[in-house]
Amino acid sequence: MTTALIADDEPLLRERLTQHLARLWPELEIVAQARNGREAVEMFDDLAPDICFLDVHMPGQNGIEAARAIARRAHIVFVTAFEQYALQAFDQGALDYLVKPFDEARLADTVKRLQARTASRTTSAGDAELGPVLDRLADELRSRTPLRSTLQWIKASVGNSVRLIPVAEVVYLRSDEKYTLVAWAGGDALIRKTIRELADELDPGCFVQVHRSVIVNLRHVAQVVRGLNETADVHLRGRTEVLPVSRSYLHLFRQM
Amino acid sequence: MTTRTEAPEAPTAGWPTFLATLSGGGVGTAIGLAITVAVTLNPIFVTPFLVLLGRTLFLAMVLLLVYAAARAWPQAWGLRWLPAWLQPVVALAAVAPLATLAIYLQSTGGDFVAFVQAPGRVSGFMWIAGSALFLGLLTALGAMLREREAQARSQALQFELERSRFEKQALDARLSLLQAQIEPHFLFNTLANVQALVETNSPRAADVLKSLIAYLRAAMPRLHDGQPTLGNEVALVRAYLELMQMRMPDRLQFTVDVDPALAERRFPPMALLTLVENAVRHGIDPSEDGGRIEVVARAHGSGMGNGSGLHLSVADTGVGMDPHAQPGTGLSNLQARLQGFFGSGATLRLEEQPPHGLRAEIEVSP
Repeated sequence: MTTALIADDEPLLRERLTQHLARLWPELEIVAQARNGREAVEMFDDLAPDICFLDVHMPGQNGIEAARAIARRAHIVFVTAFEQYALQAFDQGALDYLVKPFDEARLADTVKRLQARTASRTTSAGDAELGPVLDRLADELRSRTPLRSTLQWIKASVGNSVRLIPVAEVVYLRSDEKYTLVAWAGGDALIRKTIRELADELDPGCFVQVHRSVIVNLRHVAQVVRGLNETADVHLRGRTEVLPVSRSYLHLFRQM
Repeated sequence: MTTRTEAPEAPTAGWPTFLATLSGGGVGTAIGLAITVAVTLNPIFVTPFLVLLGRTLFLAMVLLLVYAAARAWPQAWGLRWLPAWLQPVVALAAVAPLATLAIYLQSTGGDFVAFVQAPGRVSGFMWIAGSALFLGLLTALGAMLREREAQARSQALQFELERSRFEKQALDARLSLLQAQIEPHFLFNTLANVQALVETNSPRAADVLKSLIAYLRAAMPRLHDGQPTLGNEVALVRAYLELMQMRMPDRLQFTVDVDPALAERRFPPMALLTLVENAVRHGIDPSEDGGRIEVVARAHGSGMGNGSGLHLSVADTGVGMDPHAQPGTGLSNLQARLQGFFGSGATLRLEEQPPHGLRAEIEVSP
């Protein structure tokens, strides 16, 4: 008897797939229903089903990551909603997939293909190509998540709470002994990160280190005035403080 | 001359700078000054005018060359410790008397004693050297000041450019807010759930469709259809949360606690929804266990009318905002939208919600 696992974080969609499969393929036994990628992999390891229906978008470990863990030990069918880029990769990698919301005719095609494969005991895309295709998909998916490589929020203690300051609102950062002073539109706060750590994490197109102890957000700069002895001062929009530019950072403003 | 003024030498000094100084009106200025000095001093000199003019011209050219060289090779003078702007000044101050002395020694055939003993010659030296020193320094400092101003202007221009680039980005962000309110991913996943309910003849299907229609109608890009109110916004938030709860019933709980008396208050469209969507996207959705979202709106100050202040909060018990999470168009310009709508008395603050989660607060002062 052929067995299958269904993984989706949305219960109604797990139920719907189960019901349609029951009608189209009564001999198929759904042995496990997982709510996320981690559960899917655990259940797969316990029950070793022949087929895994994996939702691509799941909390924690996503469907692509789960597929990499399961690798070629099962036939994998991805289930996805409008993952345009993923669809291209699925097509190129000859992977089975269903696009939500799918109709029964589309599922019937997939069932036919799966029945043929399980009968002939070949795995889906059962060649060496599967690994690289999944790697590429995982990269693709990661690049499309709303996580950026540069810091987007600075967490700073203000009173009893930890504020999240959007970096766009940060005017400048200045090291203050063990701490770093964050000056933003809403006030000043101290954080524990050092200027050096921040310089590495912030978007270099926007945040420029102008002094050993100062990083400034170019969006908030009004003008830079050259001073004596190869130095300069940064004047800020709507603020009275003037920030120093030291000799070794002056070249940043030379091209301007 | 303030201490701020300095000679902004180009990063690649040398021959180009040297030639630029000479050609940039330098020679003309020097000749003009030499003629002026010669004409001015002529009445008190016994020397013929042409000889006097020759001397002032020679001196002007020497000083121009020295100035140009000092600007072009500021490090070559053994005066590294001097600020860049002071180097041509010192060079001119040193060369002016020496070059004048050379002229007079030439006229006495190199006899220093004969020069010192002739009072007419000494006073002539004083006049010429003094004029050279005075006019040379004044002209040099003037030239450096002009150059500095030109550079400041080009720098200001650069910043203006950068700023207009940033402002264009902000405008693009506002436009994309109008265009892309409904994510296809959200829409198709929701429709897939509705489909599941309809196929099983679930009695919940009708309610869910009602929520979806309410959400779509409110989220469609539109210009203005009447006065946007807090009541409308809360209805939209409820519709959205009901849809999400249908999709993840085991992972999302929510409460919406809004004083009904506030329903008619003016409120910027999508402002509260942006915070709720953010709580789902960055707090609940990435979490295997999910969490709870609490939406609260209260009046503060006196009365419920448009004159009293408003306090709104959206708190979730999800995974909390990742410091690298992109704020998203709606959230990144929410503060600006609030201030555009309510004036500068409106603030948005986001903070961590212990033990995990995010709390967003909108405060509108009375």
